[in-house]
Amino acid sequence: MPGEILKVTVDKFTFRVPKGLSYSDAGVWVKLEGNRARLGLSDFAQQSSGDVAFANIKPDGTDLERGDAFAEVETVKVNVSVPSPVNGTIVEVNLSLAEAPELINQDPYGKGWLAVVELSDWENDRAYLLDAETYLALVKGQAAEEMKR
Amino acid sequence: MPELPKRKVGIIACSGEESPEGTVTRLAALKVLESLRPHETVTICLPLFLAGGEGDRTFARFYPTVAVDGCEKRCAARGTEMYSGKPAISIVVNEAASIGSSDLGSARQLNETGMQVVNDVAAQIACHVDQLLDLKGDRRSGLPVDGPAPQEESQSRQATCSCSSSIPVTTLHVAGREVTFVALPLIFAQFREVGKLPDDSTKDDLLRAVKIYNVISDADETSYAQALLQEYSAFCRRDH
Amino acid sequence: MKEKVLIVPCSGIGKSYGTVAREGAYVVTEDLCPEKTMLVPVALLVLGEDEARSTLAGTEAITIDGCQLACAAKVVANSGGTVAHRVQVLDVFRSHRNLKPSGIAELDANGHKLARVLAEEVQELVNGMTGEVSHA
Repeated sequence: MPGEILKVTVDKFTFRVPKGLSYSDAGVWVKLEGNRARLGLSDFAQQSSGDVAFANIKPDGTDLERGDAFAEVETVKVNVSVPSPVNGTIVEVNLSLAEAPELINQDPYGKGWLAVVELSDWENDRAYLLDAETYLALVKGQAAEEMKR
Repeated sequence: MPELPKRKVGIIACSGEESPEGTVTRLAALKVLESLRPHETVTICLPLFLAGGEGDRTFARFYPTVAVDGCEKRCAARGTEMYSGKPAISIVVNEAASIGSSDLGSARQLNETGMQVVNDVAAQIACHVDQLLDLKGDRRSGLPVDGPAPQEESQSRQATCSCSSSIPVTTLHVAGREVTFVALPLIFAQFREVGKLPDDSTKDDLLRAVKIYNVISDADETSYAQALLQEYSAFCRRDH
Repeated sequence: MKEKVLIVPCSGIGKSYGTVAREGAYVVTEDLCPEKTMLVPVALLVLGEDEARSTLAGTEAITIDGCQLACAAKVVANSGGTVAHRVQVLDVFRSHRNLKPSGIAELDANGHKLARVLAEEVQELVNGMTGEVSHA
């Protein structure tokens, strides 16, 4: 997991936001790897969703536009359709999640990654992403709203 | 400087599987958490707490807790004290006079009497929550009514880091001994901001605010109130 | 006579799965194999209840946890007990996807069915530990 980790606590829940990653406002983190991006669910997204029972990710070769669902994550609470924060083509899927979907909860920024995408329009995509500090602020607000429900 | 978190009370129930009173604690706690005081309370999961859940333990160090136990073994109260701090309130269901030797049903399925006890205990918990947060409650419905005490929602009061290095801890000399308080500078800063003067007019409010985050027994209130006011005066002089 | 198998549910209060664990433990110890099992509350183990701890020593336990944090398994291990089997409600749910439970104070129909399925799996484990042969 890259670099310094920012944290925020709401009630008894602490949410981690590592610096060095970019984030969509839907809670998907993006790690740039050359012309590819590794994608996963943020700590806040996985905690809000609950324990993952199943994770279904679109296969290699799937073309994505920004906003297309590239994964379906079923938890004990909800079924989450995960929107792609980038345009591109899926080139690698985390096969470990078939047997151990709990990795998304246990290690969301490491072993719980979802897919790797070959980027086709990074210069435009990056404009829609948030840095860690901005995403942290978003998480604070969203977490506080969740606690009110 | 981290911001003060919203005031809430942690509810920790024993959920003891062996007795109907244990089931009463579970259902009463859930009733408070889900319907009577959903915005004022947080559940503390006892098995997670005991197994090492740092989020729950840290929460219970800084927030007041209400422990609800089925019997005199008081697992929830003892566990809270062991790993975080003494609960502000400890309720033991089978010591409640209203139960006597009533048949509550089984641990797996309470009967009508048992469910009435659940409602009674839930109302008790809600009442304690109100007192701890200085709220007013409607005794008939059990729901909170508008009152002067609840904090106003503001963007600045949302979250704070739970690790112990960011919530300040202050040690004061009170009645001949050293006492450690959490969050004093933050509380003082809030009081200063709203123009509370460091004099007797502020003493009771200050004590009430500090009691949200620190356990202070009734017997100690007078001496603690005086010490806190002196510290607040010193804070205002330094801050000026 | 062989010692009873200890059944230790987490009874977590934050999720339906904690209630499924609790209900499943009751089904095992009260309905399916009451003569071979005994329910032990997690809290008693941690808070130094001598009777509970001496029961734990030398006896194998099956823990039933509602989530991946596996509190019951941790507590039994830390209390000197032997965890023969760690049952996770989530694993049982993964094999019975149609039984997604809801409700914490009161389980819905799916929750009760899931608890029953879980209990039957635990019963198989108990039979294996006590040398009983299952009849299909």
